[in-house]
Amino acid sequence: MNGFARAFRQPGLDRVDPILVILWVALIVVAIVWIAPFVFIVFTSLKANSTVMGSSAFAPPTSLEWRNFAGAWARGRFSTTVFNSAVITTIKVPLGLLISAMAAYALSRIRLPAGRAIFLLVLFGTMLPFQVMLAPLFTLVNSFGLINTKVGIILPYLAFGVPYQVFILHGFFGEVPKELSEAALVDGASHFTIFRRIFLPISLPVLAALLILDFVATWNEFAMALVILQDNSTWTLPLGLMSFQSQFQSDYGQLNAAIVMTVLPATIVYLIFQRYFVSGLTSGAIKE
Amino acid sequence: MSIRISAPTQGLVLLAPALLVYCVFAVYPMLDVAALSFMKWNGLSPNAQFVGLANYVQVFTQDPVFWQAVRNTVLWTVMSVIFPPAIGFALALALNQNIPGRSPLRALFYLPVIIAPIAVATIWRWMYDPFFGLFNATLTALGLQGLIKDWLGDRNVALYAMFIASVWQTVGFSLVLFLAGLQNVSQTLIEASRIDGAGRFEVFRYVTLPALRPSITIVLILSIINSLKAFDIVYGMTGGGPAQSTQMLALWAFTQAMQLGDFGHGAAISVVLLLITISIVIPYLRWSRTHRETNP
Repeated sequence: MNGFARAFRQPGLDRVDPILVILWVALIVVAIVWIAPFVFIVFTSLKANSTVMGSSAFAPPTSLEWRNFAGAWARGRFSTTVFNSAVITTIKVPLGLLISAMAAYALSRIRLPAGRAIFLLVLFGTMLPFQVMLAPLFTLVNSFGLINTKVGIILPYLAFGVPYQVFILHGFFGEVPKELSEAALVDGASHFTIFRRIFLPISLPVLAALLILDFVATWNEFAMALVILQDNSTWTLPLGLMSFQSQFQSDYGQLNAAIVMTVLPATIVYLIFQRYFVSGLTSGAIKE
Repeated sequence: MSIRISAPTQGLVLLAPALLVYCVFAVYPMLDVAALSFMKWNGLSPNAQFVGLANYVQVFTQDPVFWQAVRNTVLWTVMSVIFPPAIGFALALALNQNIPGRSPLRALFYLPVIIAPIAVATIWRWMYDPFFGLFNATLTALGLQGLIKDWLGDRNVALYAMFIASVWQTVGFSLVLFLAGLQNVSQTLIEASRIDGAGRFEVFRYVTLPALRPSITIVLILSIINSLKAFDIVYGMTGGGPAQSTQMLALWAFTQAMQLGDFGHGAAISVVLLLITISIVIPYLRWSRTHRETNP
């Protein structure tokens, strides 16, 4: 942080710019509005129901009701939903990234029949709203007998993760100098070896960014899970939260504890790996 | 490496897993939804019956909720293209100045983007709670009891109440893209124009804004596409109610097929939404390719 000493000055000027001070105050006000929902949720999650109904909504909790968390964990079947979400995410995210990277390598570094057409087909998928295909997805997964199974949800997740990742990695691999792989090819290395030994290691920063973005997307996914995971023993966290809301919506303390527990993992990942989010997002959309 | 496989074969082996899963679980359902839109099918019986355009006729002439969903989706999209990008743009301009605490502020504004939409729906439902929620409590504290409402239960207000939750969630997305665009604006150009006597407004108007044009296009297109597929937030906050006043196309297609068992009708709605999306996506992909080729 550059601190207040040098802040509020236009580059090259020494005096404080009053417009920047006004701007900063305005930003702080907006920031307070933005953070208010989080504060309200955390406060409520630590209040007993009688306190929620009897005291001001803005008041911080006086005695901390940690029991809300234990109660919501048990009634919301969090041990099941957290486990399911964790298994699905740990399998889907690395596997999806691997097949996307393989495909991106093939499409950008090997001359393939119809390679250009395949790339465009995949690119088209980056904009495809899967929300319009929920019913046919259900029918398809059902025809494989995979409703209520982890495989049944992971396969569509993989399919809808491929386009964006291939698009980003294709752009990245395309900029690797030819000499790097040609020398290895002349030495008799196969494309499999070049991919594993050269391209995977040099693309680690991009892979990390995509990994984080995909972790959050998979962890948060709701609509596909809603049609494919119908039995409550197979539910993921978002499905569990939705059901908790409809069953116990007047149990304010526990409901908010359930929200906090659902949101916390992604928030922690985000706060730790912040810079990857920005690079993963902007490398796709904006290319200078 | 004793056996040499030809390069294209190696390429196909590398490509196969992703391409296979993508074609089966993303491309096929899209074609299937188009096929289903010409059929009468309840989702369970072994054979679907071909009915031609009957589903479309039914959707367009006998389904008032469809038109309500069209109006809401259009309104939602128009609002989503105006407000979150405008707020994100203003915040990005402010955050791009020499002020303290830029990184924590940026992190805060982006935080709602990474929260599950279904959790955002739950959070805001609770804030809109007519009795104990933050909104009505704030109004009471300010002495404005007259403005107290059942925000999600009032059919004239629910859609806008839901939209405010969506603004909270999506502003950070525009903000980060604009901020990245701003950081690509040439500093030398800005300084040169300052030296030439350009004021704050002229620099913005003639240097910053033209340089941001690609970012602006991208943000607007992505906002349109994301708003057309609004599903989670509607499902979680209102379920389309009260009295279908917040119904949207994606949710209505889902409801018809998965809850009312009319797969043909739902598919016809999906196709309408798909065609709208494609009519925006294809020109955009064209534009982004030519743009990339002219500005390497």
